[in-house]
Amino acid sequence: MALDCGVFHTTYRSDMALRRTPVERGRMGLFILLLLVFPFLASPYWLNLANQIAIATIGAIGLNILVGYTGQVSLGQGAFMAVGAYGTGLLTLRFGLPWGVSIVGGCLMTAAIGTFFGLPSLRLKGLYLAIATLAAQEIIEWVVTHWTALTGGTEALVLPAPQMFGLRLNSDFNFYWVATGLALLTALFTANLFRSRIGRSFVAVRDQDIAASVIGVNIFRTKLLAFATSSFFVGLAGGLIAYYRNIVTWERFTLETSIFYLAMIIVGGLGTIRGSFFGAALITLLPAAITNLGRALQESAPGVAVQLPNIQQAAFGLVIILFLIFEPEGLSKLWGNVKDYFHVWPFAYKRGEARGG
Amino acid sequence: MRFGLIVPRLLMLVVFVFAGCGGGEPADPGTDEIKIGAIFDLTGPTADIGTDYADAVRAWVDWTNGRGGIGGRQIDLIFQDYAYQVDRAEQLYSQFVQEGAIVFMGWGTGDTEALVPRVATDRIPFSSASLSHRLGDPEEAPFNFLVATSYSQQFLVSLDWIAADHASGGGSGRPGVALLHNASPFGLSPWTQLGEDYAAQAGIDVRLFEMPRGATDFTAEMIRIRQSEAGYIVIQNTSAPAAVAVRNARSLGLDATIVCLNWCANALLVDLAGDSSEGVVGGMPYPPPWVDAPGLADLKQHLAARGDDVSDRTTAYTQGWFTSEIFGEGIRRALESGEPLTGESIRAALEEITSFDTGGVTVPITFSTGDHRGANGMRMFRVENGAWTPITDFMTAPEVR
Repeated sequence: MALDCGVFHTTYRSDMALRRTPVERGRMGLFILLLLVFPFLASPYWLNLANQIAIATIGAIGLNILVGYTGQVSLGQGAFMAVGAYGTGLLTLRFGLPWGVSIVGGCLMTAAIGTFFGLPSLRLKGLYLAIATLAAQEIIEWVVTHWTALTGGTEALVLPAPQMFGLRLNSDFNFYWVATGLALLTALFTANLFRSRIGRSFVAVRDQDIAASVIGVNIFRTKLLAFATSSFFVGLAGGLIAYYRNIVTWERFTLETSIFYLAMIIVGGLGTIRGSFFGAALITLLPAAITNLGRALQESAPGVAVQLPNIQQAAFGLVIILFLIFEPEGLSKLWGNVKDYFHVWPFAYKRGEARGG
Repeated sequence: MRFGLIVPRLLMLVVFVFAGCGGGEPADPGTDEIKIGAIFDLTGPTADIGTDYADAVRAWVDWTNGRGGIGGRQIDLIFQDYAYQVDRAEQLYSQFVQEGAIVFMGWGTGDTEALVPRVATDRIPFSSASLSHRLGDPEEAPFNFLVATSYSQQFLVSLDWIAADHASGGGSGRPGVALLHNASPFGLSPWTQLGEDYAAQAGIDVRLFEMPRGATDFTAEMIRIRQSEAGYIVIQNTSAPAAVAVRNARSLGLDATIVCLNWCANALLVDLAGDSSEGVVGGMPYPPPWVDAPGLADLKQHLAARGDDVSDRTTAYTQGWFTSEIFGEGIRRALESGEPLTGESIRAALEEITSFDTGGVTVPITFSTGDHRGANGMRMFRVENGAWTPITDFMTAPEVR
């Protein structure tokens, strides 16, 4: 972790703190304050978007642990979310477990299945591993839609609304606290994970697996652990979707979902937590923004209206391509640039020259 | 600032500004325009039929507004394409309700079912193009209304027709039926809700065959159907995949009678399957808009006035028009009752609609507090010389014991 210019730590305690400067702590405090105030000011539309972003953030952090931090490409995200959602749903419907317990159960189930499908990673790397996880996606999707006795096949699972202290938790407002709280915990856990020995070994495997193995990292164990940790959070995202929507159908967890999540972490920034959040926010808000832009145009330029739905589809792809061309390191880097710019503002040595880091 | 940074920053700005456009001030329900929210599938997997449905709803709104609206109040239809994505449906639903929509027109089975609890909390009368039987049960979905015969009842009517056809053709024993269905709750609902029970009751052998999403060939399914020796194939899917299945069946020389339900019994199927579609039977809760029925006069007149050709339009068009019409009737009655116009009063007004005459387009529409399924019958059509031709009068769905 690069140290900012002019910051000197005089104690181990301050050196090892999660947020090391008052500015960083202030910014985090401001962000949390914003999260606390937001639901009281926001309309249901915004709450709905915020909840989707919170769930996507958890899923994206999960995927980032595997892809961004450990360097194991996965196309099985959608399927692992399905395991989380179906696991959670079935534990509630078949065994009558309360929602909290069944979500944890769903996460553990996803971790186990994720680990199993991580086994090929010992021998396969890069694109080859991507194809192996694509197989996981297809196999799990097939099992979910065909094992009718267990999952109900292509029929939807309808779940009871989660309750706590007599409150229905999946209303937009109540669910906000659950989803945001869990997203923050996930972020906190992951931030700390990569300050630990295990987390560093993940990164070592990503950067150079042979070197990692030479310095004593058990590669196979590390990769499987990465699959398990990643899948746990991906399962959490799946379980939350199940409860937020009250209904589980396989249609929500297809290969398209896997690709959207990969897009999130690539656009957001691989191997960063804030990148996962930025990516989740962008991929969720972008279609909404394009829709609203379209609606604005509909009134002013009705001639365009006929082609609008098609233009909207194309615009989504175009925006993502532009991001990748102009900022390949993602939104996280962009945020870093903004911070750097204001760090020495208004006395920049050379105006606009972004420092590395 | 380097140029490279300007573009992504501008993009970010645009995203946040326009995402923020959603959720304006709710309108005053007393005097303003009546806002109807709607989501359509114009670019997704069911866009083949979704486009006509969407056009019809918009045409009905134009037509109604042209005649002075409902009770002197204009209708403001707020709609968007949602590409058959459940998440998008939920976003748009909450956005439109926030903007003051008091009635909502949905589309797919997956998203309609996902929205049921929300719709009940917001008390928004909701019509879906999805005709899943259970959505018409007020105990499960208190604000959902089915304006056409449910998939399950369509399947029941089709089974009755098959039994009669089998007997009249001199067939012996039980008729064998293959239900070829879309791999989704939409595809399975005719079977899981009532269908399975009725098949047992009527003594008809039904076997299920799934049509995988996105498949471009159903030869394997057709070979399995041939092995099962089913004399009838009922298809519950949209026109595009159904047309492929019909072509596959004919090119294999399979001579089973094919019966399409609601979403594939339309002109699109004939266009796509060409000569192979000859002899295909279709159960139609709503007929194509060009058939002779007094109830279709307004629709035809409106299309002609706009220079549109009615013969290009499918059954989805009729369904979109009449779904709007019946919700419009509910709104009109709610306004006449003198109650403030809310989702609640519109629901109460809809529940009072009894034997509403659609001028020979459908069976008379009746809702009640205990049943939100407006119709329970349909007519059977057959493709003869490349055009859908009625072969029965209205048939009513049998009771399942």
